[in-house]
Amino acid sequence: MSGKGQKKFEEIVKRFVELKDTSELMIDLAYSALLLNSKELAEEVQRLEEYVDKLHTEFELLVLSSGFKKEEARGFLGLVRLGVVTEKIADAAAQIAEVVLRGVEPHPVLKLAIEEAEETITYVQVNERSPLVNKTLKDARIPEETGMWILAIKRGDKCMRPKPDTTIQVGDVLIASGYAEGEEDLKRLAAPPPS
Amino acid sequence: MSFERIEYKPIPVRELLREMKNLSELMIDLAYSAALFNDRELAEDVLELEKRIDTLAYQLEMMTMVAARDAKDAEALVGVSKVAAATDKISDAAADIAAIVTQNIGVHPIVSEIFERVEERLIKAKVHENSILVGKSIGELELAPRMGVDIIAIYRKNDWIINPKAGERICVGDVLIARGTSEGLKELRELCEGKLDKLED
Repeated sequence: MSGKGQKKFEEIVKRFVELKDTSELMIDLAYSALLLNSKELAEEVQRLEEYVDKLHTEFELLVLSSGFKKEEARGFLGLVRLGVVTEKIADAAAQIAEVVLRGVEPHPVLKLAIEEAEETITYVQVNERSPLVNKTLKDARIPEETGMWILAIKRGDKCMRPKPDTTIQVGDVLIASGYAEGEEDLKRLAAPPPS
Repeated sequence: MSFERIEYKPIPVRELLREMKNLSELMIDLAYSAALFNDRELAEDVLELEKRIDTLAYQLEMMTMVAARDAKDAEALVGVSKVAAATDKISDAAADIAAIVTQNIGVHPIVSEIFERVEERLIKAKVHENSILVGKSIGELELAPRMGVDIIAIYRKNDWIINPKAGERICVGDVLIARGTSEGLKELRELCEGKLDKLED
């Protein structure tokens, strides 16, 4: 394969990985929205759905304009189908978020099921004793320390999606996803008990 | 196509929903792995799991119907039913991915190559003979609390072990599919290749 062909593929795959990661993030955020009964997070999911739609169109255009050869058509069809699937997953996430946006308090059983799942979602408020305070998310190394990754941060009434340079403040509520075992580590890190 | 009758069973909605959430997420990761590593057997396993979700969805629907005692209950239970339907949709999406493989469409091989480099949440790694993982059980490795990593499938002796249990021991030559944080997966890959010879605490 020529260098130019390889580069074209790089771009397509990067776009696909972004679609895939965004659709999966949406699922996590949608469950978080249910867990916290947070309209804000649910709205974020809806916003992301529009973003995925846009991204998906760009991805399809990129695939279709890549000038593939006839014998490569199958492989490209596979790619197109993968793209369609990410959109389907994004739709499912939006459907979960919609439950929150309807304004009926989510049934307690939903909260229990999410908390007990293998890949759990949890939230913890950062207290003044936490070593995380005033650190950027990048420096806080939360995934390395706890195996949990931060999906969103709730500060006051606002919910935001964290960036690596977001600074953690006292009172922030960290919404995190990971395997149930990391939950205690995260709680110890964000909210150490008084010594 | 034949459909079997699914009978009412009093299983708590909480359990059904938890199982559906777990399975749907596992299926997505397995399905992407099957498509990108072009593995037909893994794809077929995903399609099997899809049937399981369908059964669970059916049972859950019956349970929520029985659970509603009044209008207020019904209002809250519709939400439960919607979420269950969403997990079902996610599992359908996973089955669509698996079908790319089982229908011999496949994904361009260059894609897998680039994907392995770009994707950070899903890896495939072969266990070398000098890896310290050999002979250890998944439970004792405590990969989830240690590094936020979960082994979702093992390929051994021409067979896939899906969602291996804590007692499963890792053997030389096993191919592991794992998901998790990018740092944790990097570490796991090094452990598999024998480049890292101790587990972090």
